[in-house]
Amino acid sequence: MKQSNFSVWLRLLWMFLKVNLLSPSGPASVGLLYKEAVGSVMSEERFVEAVGFSNVLPGSEALKLAMFVGYAAGGVPGVFTALLGAVLPPTVMMFAVAAILQQFQQEDWLQGFVKGMSPAIAALIIMVAWELFHVGQTKKIDRRTLFIAALSAVALWFEIPSPLVLLGAGVLGVFLFR
Amino acid sequence: MTESQFIQAVGLSSVLPGSDALQLAMYIGYAAGGIPGGLVALLGSILPPTLIILGVTMILHRLRRESWVGNFVEGLAPAISVLMLFTAWKIFEKGGETSWMGWTIGIVSMAAMWLKAPERIVVIIAGIIGIIFLSS
Repeated sequence: MKQSNFSVWLRLLWMFLKVNLLSPSGPASVGLLYKEAVGSVMSEERFVEAVGFSNVLPGSEALKLAMFVGYAAGGVPGVFTALLGAVLPPTVMMFAVAAILQQFQQEDWLQGFVKGMSPAIAALIIMVAWELFHVGQTKKIDRRTLFIAALSAVALWFEIPSPLVLLGAGVLGVFLFR
Repeated sequence: MTESQFIQAVGLSSVLPGSDALQLAMYIGYAAGGIPGGLVALLGSILPPTLIILGVTMILHRLRRESWVGNFVEGLAPAISVLMLFTAWKIFEKGGETSWMGWTIGIVSMAAMWLKAPERIVVIIAGIIGIIFLSS
């Protein structure tokens, strides 16, 4: 899926502008991004890889996801296009807000917007989580998948850091799916 | 910057759409050195992950043919979906609307997406509903 032409870059830029305008934080963007990117510019397995690695590596999650998706779609130029799309909305908004900070903070509508948006984003993420759950080559849920999921749930419940959990799950996968 | 400025910055970046970490960095940069400060802080937080990702993708590209990478990803998938469930709950909680209204919005959105309504439209409509009913 590597076609390095202008239309791919434009598509990437637009995709990330959209996703980043509509998500309140890094982790929240995963759901929307899945819907936008999987099937159009990258495969599901590639997406899982991207989410996994952005979680394990240091730095801002939204950015790393953008870069992985960008790379899958358009190589190194794709990385920079996606980056631009991911960085632009928060930058513009931040500077605009910093300029008119005092008035803006008293505005309730933005808070209302985020309040209303959050349950919808949570719902979207749950749906994507379900789709990701049967991502494997076989597309069916077997005992090994359930085992890893249960183990991860327990680990996350006990507040073990997510990079560790994902790393462990991957390593477990190497042994279990051999 | 002062502590109260910092708290304000954290509050703002979690309310505005877009990446928290980036906005926080820019705000601190802005408070310390105006617009140039904001841009420098932005550059500082973009550069390290960019270099790391470029490196990792290169290596990954080489490794792709090895079968264990595929198995690693296969193990990753269930863990990520569980992680996303936790994230979904956190976002729901952090949104501050966990009364029946929040649940209703969540369940209706899920139903809408189940019926293949476009996701971003659903999210935007939910936000508008929030503006109308949840602005205090």
